[in-house]
Amino acid sequence: MKGFKKDLLIIFALVLLVAVLILGTDIQSVDEYYLTHIDDIGPDSETVTLSIRCDTVLANLDKLDPALREGGYVPEDGIIFPETKLVLREGDTVFDILSRATRYYRIQMEYQGADETALGTAYVEGLGNLYQFSCGEGSGWIFFVNGKRPSEGASHCKLADGDRIEWIYTCRFGADLPDHYQGVVK
Amino acid sequence: MSRERLHPAVWMTYYLLVLAVAMFYWNPLLQGFALLGGMLYFAAIAGGRAFLSELGFTLPLAVLVAITNPLFSHAGATPLFFMNGNPITLEAVLYGILLAGMILSVLYWCKCLSMVMTTDRLLTLFGGFLPKLALTFSMTLRFFPRLFRQMKAMEAAGKTSGLLADDSFFDRLRGRMKLLPALIGWSLERAMETSASMKARGYGLPGRTNAVCRKMRGEDVVFLAVILLLGGLTLLSGILGDLSFWFYPRISDLPTGGISLMGYVSYGLLCFLPVILEWKEWYQWHLLRKKIPLS
Repeated sequence: MKGFKKDLLIIFALVLLVAVLILGTDIQSVDEYYLTHIDDIGPDSETVTLSIRCDTVLANLDKLDPALREGGYVPEDGIIFPETKLVLREGDTVFDILSRATRYYRIQMEYQGADETALGTAYVEGLGNLYQFSCGEGSGWIFFVNGKRPSEGASHCKLADGDRIEWIYTCRFGADLPDHYQGVVK
Repeated sequence: MSRERLHPAVWMTYYLLVLAVAMFYWNPLLQGFALLGGMLYFAAIAGGRAFLSELGFTLPLAVLVAITNPLFSHAGATPLFFMNGNPITLEAVLYGILLAGMILSVLYWCKCLSMVMTTDRLLTLFGGFLPKLALTFSMTLRFFPRLFRQMKAMEAAGKTSGLLADDSFFDRLRGRMKLLPALIGWSLERAMETSASMKARGYGLPGRTNAVCRKMRGEDVVFLAVILLLGGLTLLSGILGDLSFWFYPRISDLPTGGISLMGYVSYGLLCFLPVILEWKEWYQWHLLRKKIPLS
C-alpha cells in the first residue's frame, strides 16, 4: 500500500509537468497567427523600410534544390518582398520588424528564437520557403541595415527612423553579393 | 524452409538490395512495400506472438518519431497551426510519418536478417576472406538477443534477492536501472572473451579454412539472378530519376511514368518474395499433411 501511494505521487508530478509544458506552449491557429492589421503610417510616425531578395539564387540555379525550381518559390526578378515602408515602434529590432512584416504579408518564415541559439540572437533559417543550404553549402539569409552588415544579431540590432533593412539570400557566405554591401568578406 | 534452403550469399545480396532502397529512397510507395514486406516476413518466420510483442515496442517508437518531426522541422508551405511562433506544417507531419515507417521497415528487415543469417552462415560467407568483419558482424547480430536473455536472468536474480520485489512500480524501475551497469559490464566482458577465444583457436590466421556447410546449387543461382534482376531494375529506375519524391516545401506528385512503374513493380516483387516463398512452403506442407492417412 505504501508503494502504491508513492506511485500515485510520482504520476501526479508527471501529469503536472506535462500540464506545465502544454500551458507553456503558445498555440495559435493560422488566422490568429497572421496579422490582419498592421500599424498605419501617420504623419509623425517613425518608419523603416524592409525588403527581402534572393537575386544570388538566379546566378546559381544549378545548385538550387530541385524541389524549389518550379512553383514560383524563386521569383524571376529575385524579389520575394519589395521595399516597403513599415512603422518603427519604440525599441524595435531588425527581427521584430521582420517578424511583424512576415506575419502581416503572409511570408513563410522559420527561425530559431533568441533563447535557442548559442549567440543569444534569433537566427532566420528560411524565408519564403527558401532555406539555408537550399542553394549550395554556403547559402543562407543575412541582413543589412543601410547597406552595412551590423555587428549585432537580428534580435539585438536596434533601429532608427529611416533605416533601410535588407534581407538578402547569399549562396557563398556573402561573397557573391554586389560590391555596395559592406561588412562581408569578398 | 526456404531461408535454410538458399545459400547465405543469396540472402545477403537480397538484404543488401532491399535495405539499400529502403534507406535511400523517400518514395512513399516504395517505403510502403518495404514496411509491409518486412513486417509480413517477420511475422511469418518469428510467429504471431513474437510479432505482436514486437509491435508493442515498435508502434510507440513510430508514433514518437512521427510526432517529433513536426515539432522540430517547420518547413513546408501548408501550416496547420502555429506553436510558439513557428508553424506546424502538413508537410512536416507527413514527412514524420514516412520517417517513422522507414525506421520501422529497416528495423524489421534487420530483425529478419539476424534470424536468417545465423553465425555459421555468416562465417561460411565471410570467414574466409573477411574474418574480422564476419566476427564483428555476427557478434553484433547476436548482441541484443543475448543481452535480453542476460537481462531476464539478472532480473530473476534481482527478484529473489529482493531488489525488484518492491510493490511500487517506480521503485522496481529504479532497481532495474541499478542492474544496467552490471549488464553493460557483462556484455563488454563477453565481447572481449569472444575475441580472445577466437584468437586462441587461430581464427583469421592465413591458411586457416572454414567449414563450408553449403555450396551454390542450381536453385541458388536462379534465385540470385531473379533478385539481382529485380533489384537492378529498381536501382536503374531510381538512377534515371523516376522514383524521386520530396516533401518540402510542397509535397510532390508520385512519379507514374513507365520507368517509375518498372521500379515499383520490381521493388514490390522483391519485398514480397520471401513472404511468398514462406507461404508457398507452408501451404505445401499442409497439403502433404492432408495426404498422410490418419488411421
